[in-house]
Amino acid sequence: MAAPHAMRGYRNGFGDRVLFVAVLLLAAIWIAPIVWVVGLSFKPNDVLMRSTGGIVFPPFTLKNYADILAASSVFHWMLNSAIVAIGQTILTLLIASLAGYGFARTNFPGKRMLFVLVLAALAVPEQAIIVPLHTMFAVVDLHNTYAALIAPRLAFPFGVLLMTQYFRAISPEIEEAALLDSASRFKVFWRIVLPLSIPAQATLGIYTFLHGWNDYFWPLVSATKPEMYTLTVGLAAMQTNFAQTEGIGFLMAQAVFAGLPVMILYLFFQRYIVSAVAGAPAK
Amino acid sequence: MLKRTFLGLAGGLLASVALCAPQAWAQAKTEITFARFFGACEGDYGTSQDVAKARGECGVMTTLTNLFNATNKDNILVKPQIIEWGPYYQQFNARMAAHDIPTIAVMHSAQLGDYVRYVEPMDDALKEAGIDTADFTPNARAAVTVGGKIYAMPWDTHSWLWHINLGMFKKAGLLDAGGQPILPKTVDEMIAQAKAVREKTGKPYIVMATSGPGDAANSGRSYYSWMYDQNATIFPNGFEKADFKTPESLATLKAFEALAKADAITKGLDSGGGLGGFLNGAGAIYLTGTWRIDDMLAAEAKPDSPLHEGYAARVFPNLFKTQSVWTDNHTWVLPKGTPAPQHKAALVFLKFLWDHNFDWARGGGHLPARQSLMAEYAKLPQRQYVVDIPTFGKALPHEARRQFGFQNMIGEEVVNIINSGKTAEQAADAMQERSVALLRGR
Repeated sequence: MAAPHAMRGYRNGFGDRVLFVAVLLLAAIWIAPIVWVVGLSFKPNDVLMRSTGGIVFPPFTLKNYADILAASSVFHWMLNSAIVAIGQTILTLLIASLAGYGFARTNFPGKRMLFVLVLAALAVPEQAIIVPLHTMFAVVDLHNTYAALIAPRLAFPFGVLLMTQYFRAISPEIEEAALLDSASRFKVFWRIVLPLSIPAQATLGIYTFLHGWNDYFWPLVSATKPEMYTLTVGLAAMQTNFAQTEGIGFLMAQAVFAGLPVMILYLFFQRYIVSAVAGAPAK
Repeated sequence: MLKRTFLGLAGGLLASVALCAPQAWAQAKTEITFARFFGACEGDYGTSQDVAKARGECGVMTTLTNLFNATNKDNILVKPQIIEWGPYYQQFNARMAAHDIPTIAVMHSAQLGDYVRYVEPMDDALKEAGIDTADFTPNARAAVTVGGKIYAMPWDTHSWLWHINLGMFKKAGLLDAGGQPILPKTVDEMIAQAKAVREKTGKPYIVMATSGPGDAANSGRSYYSWMYDQNATIFPNGFEKADFKTPESLATLKAFEALAKADAITKGLDSGGGLGGFLNGAGAIYLTGTWRIDDMLAAEAKPDSPLHEGYAARVFPNLFKTQSVWTDNHTWVLPKGTPAPQHKAALVFLKFLWDHNFDWARGGGHLPARQSLMAEYAKLPQRQYVVDIPTFGKALPHEARRQFGFQNMIGEEVVNIINSGKTAEQAADAMQERSVALLRGR
């Protein structure tokens, strides 16, 4: 119950008010480009060809959004993105949690070496492995499938590291008590440790989902049939060759449209996301 | 009774299947895939078949495809596979590696040399399709011919222009008695013009995009244009080694240095800022391609536009010896490995496109690939000034690999002269060094 009192005191002090205004200002600076993008998305392209300055004054148009919705495949691409992003999120959480728990709590030969390998993988850029990765999926004829879009992203060293560190921070006494009661290692993991790791799971889940939703390069080279495009690839394909000059409003509408599902998701899960980032359980 | 009814129904079903099957087979369409950039515009042209009303590359391509799918008598269905222009070739490489081959694919002629092993020679195919290769413009012929064989159907020529604000030229005293722009013939004349424009209008002589993604290509095209005016090449001693320190290369780079030193060219603008700036009267000349003429004409027609006093499109001027200019081409290739029915269908579609080449030139903003269309093309506004480009325009030979890489690298160094004050010699040194990496592993 100390927090609400603290908050009241926080709002009353002069210094805190200054801090509050400063935070507001920073938020305004941060949000200004987004407001600009949204504003430009409602302006005609021929007007923006001359100037992208004024977003407050007419003319306005909904044509940029109408053009996006007129694409017969746009909702199919959105569905593809959802399948890929959700699939990646669920499977990454499962794999990273299991691997993290294994590294944090169990002992096996070569564990240290394996963990070093996982850490080393953090330093390998995507571009360095794209050719062999593409070849592997070509050999097994898996391109243009959901499996090809999801699978390469499941090897996520950062997720394993995050979960390992989180599990290490959980007191082992809780598990030892359960093990003494003859619970299996997996049962301890599933029933006791996993629920305790919800904040870390949420953080990793949000990160993975956003990464999956925004992913562009791998879907570009793996999903080459329009029916398998994700939203990022499909929307980009709609751009004309001179989009930066003659289709600025359309580009901005695409950015808003692609970001909208994530924003809606945020509105629904706001308190979980905030608590996940703060590392506290959601109330 | 039940058995008889069942047998009767089954017999009827089999009979109807037998009757309908040949019809269904006859109606089965031959699907061909059509990999291209140019964007998608279903909102404006999703069902349109009226090519005469189509505008822009996307509009014309979409309408042509719609028209073909609706009217062809060979039961062919063209399925576009549209990719963003920027990473088009990366995806094309990936598709080749995965044996996921489109039936027809768009390809710049500058890229054809790198892909010639993966696409079919088309001499016989074009003949079979009824496409008269004798009608190719000289530029289009060179664009698709590698080692004496034709590897693509040319679709256009695009080139590099000066788009001129005649109002500002007039203020600077740079119009002749007929009201036509006086173009410089030497670097010194160009700098003198730039000084006149600055003095009379307070604005820079040239507006050019130099800072956005892909904008380096603009400077690369300008560099090549002035190199070709000197009948020079970056590969004077074979294609294994480039040379950027030839007298011609240094003279070209010094022309950019002179522009930068005279504060005659804009700095740090991206393509949106550059075009917007020029349309708002921020400079007298805008450097971009043939594809922008219609936008400028539309601006000229608006009474509140700084271009309303007059607009002119002119070939990138020769400041050295002989008029030439950078060119590139969109072409259609048939990647190897297409089954025979699709291959045959592709030729039908290519012939259809060939017959509509003028629609592409009129609506898409490029020069036709067909010599027989040039007279008609020249009647379009401002086109009489650019119509001869296919006779003197040049590109790197197909033996020169990684041409887009070279164009961007050259452009980046020219941009460094303009934006960052590098000298011509420093830029040439950097180009020389960077070219080694580009040619490594050929």
